[in-house]
Amino acid sequence: MAYLTQPDYVKYICSCGQLKPITSLYFCRHCLKIRCGFCICHEVDSHYCANCLENMPSSEARLKKNRCSSCFDCPSCFHTLSTRATMAQPRQVVQDPAAGGDTKVESKQPKKMYYLSCFNCRWTSRDVGIPDQPVASGGWPERTNPHAARVNQLLDYYKAIALQEKQEKIERERKKFNIRGKYITLTDKTGLTGAMARNIAGLPSSESSSSAIASFVPSQATEEVEELPEDIFTKEVNLNQITSMPQRLASPEWQPSSVSRLHPLAKLLSVKRSQRCRACDHNLTKPEYNPGSIKFKIELLAYYHVPEVKIISHEPVKPGGKSALLLKLTNPTGHEMQLRLLQPEDIPPPEEKEEPKSIEKSLERSLNLEKDTTSLKPIEVTCEQPATSRVSAPDVTLTLAQRDDAAEYDDDAQHDTNDIIMWRKSNKLALRLEVVTDEGAEGGAPAVAKVALQYSYRNTVPPAAAAATPRDHTLYTTVLLDLGTVSSN
Amino acid sequence: MSHNVKILPGATVCEDCTLEGDITIGGGTVIHPRVTIIAEGGPIIIAEYCIIEEYSTIIHKKSDKQENPPKPLFIGAHNVFEVGCKLESPCGHIGESNVFECRSFVGVDVKIGSGCVIGAACRLTAPQTLADNTVIWGSEHHVREALEKQPSQLLQLDFLSKVMPNYHRLRKPNVHKRQPSTRQSQESSPKP
Ligand SMILES: [Zn+2]
Ligand SMILES: [Zn+2]
Ligand SMILES: [Zn+2]
Ligand SMILES: [Zn+2]
Repeated sequence: MAYLTQPDYVKYICSCGQLKPITSLYFCRHCLKIRCGFCICHEVDSHYCANCLENMPSSEARLKKNRCSSCFDCPSCFHTLSTRATMAQPRQVVQDPAAGGDTKVESKQPKKMYYLSCFNCRWTSRDVGIPDQPVASGGWPERTNPHAARVNQLLDYYKAIALQEKQEKIERERKKFNIRGKYITLTDKTGLTGAMARNIAGLPSSESSSSAIASFVPSQATEEVEELPEDIFTKEVNLNQITSMPQRLASPEWQPSSVSRLHPLAKLLSVKRSQRCRACDHNLTKPEYNPGSIKFKIELLAYYHVPEVKIISHEPVKPGGKSALLLKLTNPTGHEMQLRLLQPEDIPPPEEKEEPKSIEKSLERSLNLEKDTTSLKPIEVTCEQPATSRVSAPDVTLTLAQRDDAAEYDDDAQHDTNDIIMWRKSNKLALRLEVVTDEGAEGGAPAVAKVALQYSYRNTVPPAAAAATPRDHTLYTTVLLDLGTVSSN
Repeated sequence: MSHNVKILPGATVCEDCTLEGDITIGGGTVIHPRVTIIAEGGPIIIAEYCIIEEYSTIIHKKSDKQENPPKPLFIGAHNVFEVGCKLESPCGHIGESNVFECRSFVGVDVKIGSGCVIGAACRLTAPQTLADNTVIWGSEHHVREALEKQPSQLLQLDFLSKVMPNYHRLRKPNVHKRQPSTRQSQESSPKP
């Protein structure tokens, strides 16, 4: 692992130019490029509740406003509420004897009643007068949004507008087509397009939509505002009775201003995401569907494919001076790796090759006019990160053995070899290098050394139909090393 | 070890804890192993049905403006001291049904009412008085007022007093003989 709580001392340059530690990078085996969270597609796989681990399809999640129907968060501190049971005497019967004599026959035995309680701030549903429930799950009173009617009206209105705009767009497209082609298509004749558009958008027919637009009343700004109460400036404020801003914003429908109006918040759903490379549309990660599982079906993380660089130690960096730097390199793959250190400028520019576009793909593209795929393509940037120091790279090729989990248990490192390699152990290697710092580096400025790695990579993806693709590749990556600050002489 | 420790019948007190000074432990109270209770500034009286968990520390600190005879530190019934909490109060009185959560710290000059909760890792160092049913929680020491007292831990107490003797050496109750006189004087003194 890199460092969990410490700063990231070693950063890799992603193909999009972002600097990231190796643990937050992905590696596309199809493009053979490092990718990061900024240059990949994030897709929602499934919705689930993090508390009860219930899975639900996205349509249902949308219907439930992305909230779980059986779990609640504390309205006071936002921790998950727990259901607690108490034994309660059926008191109500005693309280009103007027309500028929029959009810008294009910068992006098204590009944189990449930209420919600927060283990963090000790808020309970009893604090706001929510009656205890006879069943452990559900049955909690639901409050209706005071503005529900207006919200629905607005929703209908915006849906209608969206539909109208869509229709107008299709109309325009068709006109353009007509001018150019000057012939009437079958869809023109039958008027199929309008219905099709509505179908695609999943919206009701146009008649009702136009009526929704016509009957819509926009809100009116008014100058008459309710007067503040007389004692607003004189009444003593009891902060314990007033809700905080986060508490109010957590329930936007009600925005309670007094603590006694805090109600349990239905728990927000979480999503499982899968990541997709934008350049080749292959999945980089795909989690298992079961919300209880933290495993992945596909997990193309850079940590498993790119040699890991760690700083063992280094001498203080002085302007114009040389200092020693000890690095550890690890080969995480199951194949032997040839490694060379280079200057970042020496990386050969990537070959520009036009991907042969398959017919299916271009056809697919022509079909969905809406999707402008160009914006989804990754932007490749060469990072011009300033570095105060350069690592004088030795002109040797290092061989790193494959990862061997069993070798973890032998602990005799080989202290062999030459002035560069300090020791070797299974798939790890320690190097002694020299860092040369710029003359002009200012004292106190962060010292950053930049070094490029050339490494061989064996692609184990089963070759596609034509097995012509080479299995062995030579790849490059650039690493920035954080060497503290430049000491002022 | 001091001989001033009075354990009333029904209390469960583990042998492996540090009790120094004039300490009275009420019936039904459970004191886990590794608890430190030091009565250096005056006697400590712990009422009935308290739970004092491992590594908690209760100190009645010596202070300059001490009265003579020293005022006892009275800890009311049904208080729960969770693992690793620390109480350094010379202030004489702690109400009942309070919860001192794990690793909480209550310094000197803090008066605590009843039904209060000092959240995990919360530190009360400034002089203050906690009204009844005050709940303090979180790293920012949020304060809220609970509607009712914390539910009592009678089930847990029952369980502990049954289970503890199976796994720990216990100190025996030692006040049967002089119980009437000592008990009355101690429990009436902090009331006014
Ligand atoms: Zn790719
Ligand atoms: Zn990137
Ligand atoms: Zn749930
Ligand atoms: Zn809470």
